[in-house]
Amino acid sequence: MAKEIGADRLGDFYKEGSLVRKRREWRGLADTMYDYSRWLKIMMTLGKFVLKPRNVKAMFRYRWMANYLAVPMMVDRHTQGLRGEYLRICHEEQDLVIDDVAKLLDSLFRGDRRIGNDKKFSDKVVLVDENEMTAVMMGFPTLKCLSRETPSTYVSVLLNQYAACHYIDVAQEYGLAGDVCPMPEAEAGVSIDDDAPILGACAIQCNTTCDGSLLGNGVISQRLEKENGIPVFQLAAPLRHREDDVQEYAAQEIRNAIAFIEKHTGVKWDWKAYFECAKRVNYATECRQEWLEMNRTPYPQVFGSNLALYTETNYMAICGRVAAFEKADKKITKLARQAYAKKKMAAKEYRHRAIVWGVQSHYYMDFLVWLLNCWGIVPLTDMLSMVSTKKLVTEDTPENREQAIYDMAWLTENMIMRNRTHGGYKVLLDELWEFVEMFNADMVILWEHMSCKALDGMHGLFEEKAREKGIPLVWVSHDLFDPRIISRQGVRDQINSFMRTVFNEEPIDPSLEVLPDEKSW
Amino acid sequence: MKDLKHLIFFENLLLEANNELVQKAQADGNICVAYACENTPEPLLNLPGCFSARLRAPRTGSLDISTYYMTSFLCEYSRALLERAIEGGYNFADAVITPDGCSMMNRCIENMELLNTLGKGKDKFFFEYMEIPMKADDNGLNLYVVQCRNHILKPLSEKYGIDISDEAIRKAIADHNRVCELIRAIGDFRKEENPRITGYEFNVITLATYVAPKYLLLDKLEETLEELKTREPDEKNAFRARVLVVGSEVDDTDFVKLIEDAGAYVCADRFCYGSLPGRNPIILNDEEDPLTQICRAYMNRGECPRYMNTDKMDHRRIYVDELAKEYKADGIIYQQMKFCDPWAYEKMMGSTILRNTYGYPVLSVDRPYSIGVSGQMTTRVQAFVESIEIKKIQRGDANG
Amino acid sequence: MATFLHVIKVIVIVIAALFALTFTVYIFNLDMKLTAAIYPWLNKQYDKVKRDQHL
Repeated sequence: MAKEIGADRLGDFYKEGSLVRKRREWRGLADTMYDYSRWLKIMMTLGKFVLKPRNVKAMFRYRWMANYLAVPMMVDRHTQGLRGEYLRICHEEQDLVIDDVAKLLDSLFRGDRRIGNDKKFSDKVVLVDENEMTAVMMGFPTLKCLSRETPSTYVSVLLNQYAACHYIDVAQEYGLAGDVCPMPEAEAGVSIDDDAPILGACAIQCNTTCDGSLLGNGVISQRLEKENGIPVFQLAAPLRHREDDVQEYAAQEIRNAIAFIEKHTGVKWDWKAYFECAKRVNYATECRQEWLEMNRTPYPQVFGSNLALYTETNYMAICGRVAAFEKADKKITKLARQAYAKKKMAAKEYRHRAIVWGVQSHYYMDFLVWLLNCWGIVPLTDMLSMVSTKKLVTEDTPENREQAIYDMAWLTENMIMRNRTHGGYKVLLDELWEFVEMFNADMVILWEHMSCKALDGMHGLFEEKAREKGIPLVWVSHDLFDPRIISRQGVRDQINSFMRTVFNEEPIDPSLEVLPDEKSW
Repeated sequence: MKDLKHLIFFENLLLEANNELVQKAQADGNICVAYACENTPEPLLNLPGCFSARLRAPRTGSLDISTYYMTSFLCEYSRALLERAIEGGYNFADAVITPDGCSMMNRCIENMELLNTLGKGKDKFFFEYMEIPMKADDNGLNLYVVQCRNHILKPLSEKYGIDISDEAIRKAIADHNRVCELIRAIGDFRKEENPRITGYEFNVITLATYVAPKYLLLDKLEETLEELKTREPDEKNAFRARVLVVGSEVDDTDFVKLIEDAGAYVCADRFCYGSLPGRNPIILNDEEDPLTQICRAYMNRGECPRYMNTDKMDHRRIYVDELAKEYKADGIIYQQMKFCDPWAYEKMMGSTILRNTYGYPVLSVDRPYSIGVSGQMTTRVQAFVESIEIKKIQRGDANG
Repeated sequence: MATFLHVIKVIVIVIAALFALTFTVYIFNLDMKLTAAIYPWLNKQYDKVKRDQHL
């Protein structure tokens, strides 16, 4: 029990065979009281949520809802070992994401034909994919843009590492090959298992990150359109998104998507609302750029899962549509500046500066915190956080309205992950080494998501380039949503053996090297 | 049945990517444009002065090097192509044009480029990547036209001085259609109750039209059609069931042979590299420019699972049902190359829908790129044939 | 005055008791231990839900 960073043996909090940890950390009086107060806030958010009978009903209907029992633990996992500003930044982000997800769940169940069955509300709902850029909803402030897959699979796996396994098995029982990406596979499994809320005036699907994601949508739309009578628009964003000769096509897809939503909801596009959102997107971009700028120095402040998870939510799912995220951006930037001015560090020792590339293991998102605490590796930035920094037009003029269509198209093409997995080797392979130089990194941690074909297809060339540049590169294999293939310890072991054999180093916190968390949430 | 006169000639063309006719066409002064994806409009690669060769890796052995570059999780087709490229097997090509049809094909060609595997000693050699539509609509058509102009016609004209005028395109389509008509006519014999051509023979002939310059094949195709008109089938049909094969890339004639050796006649080929719809003629009108018409034909007929709009998705299963009826299939084999994402999903959807909604017996299998003699696959097909026979007996329409 | 002080005292005691209780739950992770006990039971519940499982 210690106030100082790194004084605790963090591995001692784990208990063999248990879903949860023995106790929470004592971080010194001020930080513990702060963490406790935020815990109280989360409990209140959850309490408010279960006060509504429809949410309790949903809890007993949808299998994935059981994972939400683990919300406080997810926050604990991400705040592990953190003190001061880092702890506060993490809470600002995590608590806001939790609040946002709670609202999303509440809305889903309100409109769900099985649960709340509020038809009037449901008629104002536009369903979107889990991994979809919501730019096309920026001009529909009176409509609810809801994703069913976000709470059922995406967030669920963040909460409980085994959350998707049931749905993966269901999809495979229906003949889906076991080698496809488990994320769209699980989403398809939710649909097949009749475990998705049914609501909405219409749905916008998108060819998001990969072939699997595109095809998984086909399974979902089969039921959505043919059984539930919810019309679906498939928004086809070009794959070669850096090419000029695809932009007109991309823009027309946006125009068509907007027209589709207008037709099925009876609501007209609102330019004023759009430009308001665009301002917030620009502000989020400025903040992210400032954080990344700090990460280039010896005193990075917003990094690791603090950067990754928040960027994913704010950039794509929020896309300027929720004012609360602008406030959070401000607070986080203030805290980061404060810590930077004092040259503060998030761990007692920074040994290596790493760029984390590839697609992270979703069932082990707090791995980045582990890297820092166990081995002193600072994950300066990650592939999913290196998204578009293009400024959107914000003034409402006839020319800008036309440009805005292209801006939305650009954002849609440059969704998280797809901006690297599609678009040719330059965005995936070449730009990695530009970032290594830019961030003054001394190592690359390369997630090898086994069933991500776009990444696997560059395996050898990543290695060749690393050798050519003299940058140590460590592969960390995983199967994104399925810890039965490679466990969390399996993930850690790949780093452990690399650090011991290649760098000949000992861990900063040896208690973290092997953790009994195989059964844990 | 008496052997087809040119079967060995066609089979020999499939033994090497750089086959006899490719060499002859290049010796005639034509340039060879290699491609890999069925969504590349073939007539545009066959303008006067150039010809297309769709990439295959016949007699594939070890995939060690390509597996290092792309891991064992990419489909064997993409790995086999890269391996062959690294071995120098495609050095004959003067250009490679590829759409981002699927991630694996894209990565395969990118690896070929980055590893400098092609174009040695060819100053004008180029790689071109292109975007192709994922939906069949007006916007998709506009994209297709722009991409074909920028990534096929423009580089062919600028680098090699190929005539890309409307007249040249119309001529290329006419030549393409002649081959398609011949393949169609040959393939129609498969509809007979006791067919005079085996699925294997047809598969060999069709494949040859993808990998060899068409103008050098025409006489052999015409002769084969004439020969078939009078060819006598064996008195007793050796096959116990008729199956339609649907699915991902198949350029391995052993696969069709294995199915037929197990007792199932392959009456129709709805797979990538097959004739349905790959060898549908492109009907042109005189009013619209031919480029737009080619793109529309490719977009509308495309049955590749990368097409994501609902009409297209539904049509994939409707089309299989139509073919099964037209070619009198007793059952359907859905096959997918291991690790192919698009067909992993389409195989699940198609096989379930064709079985449950349309009522066909369906066998769903995954397979390696090069099947050789697979006991497992033979057993599965044999069991499928038996199940079809049992159903026939139960329906009371078996002749035994 | 005495009543006021009494009320204040009661409030302070209640707040202190609430704090002691919630802080104990917090620091010993009792909230998570409770939900971990509920979780297996909930999963059995889901198996009983009637579903129209199909593509």
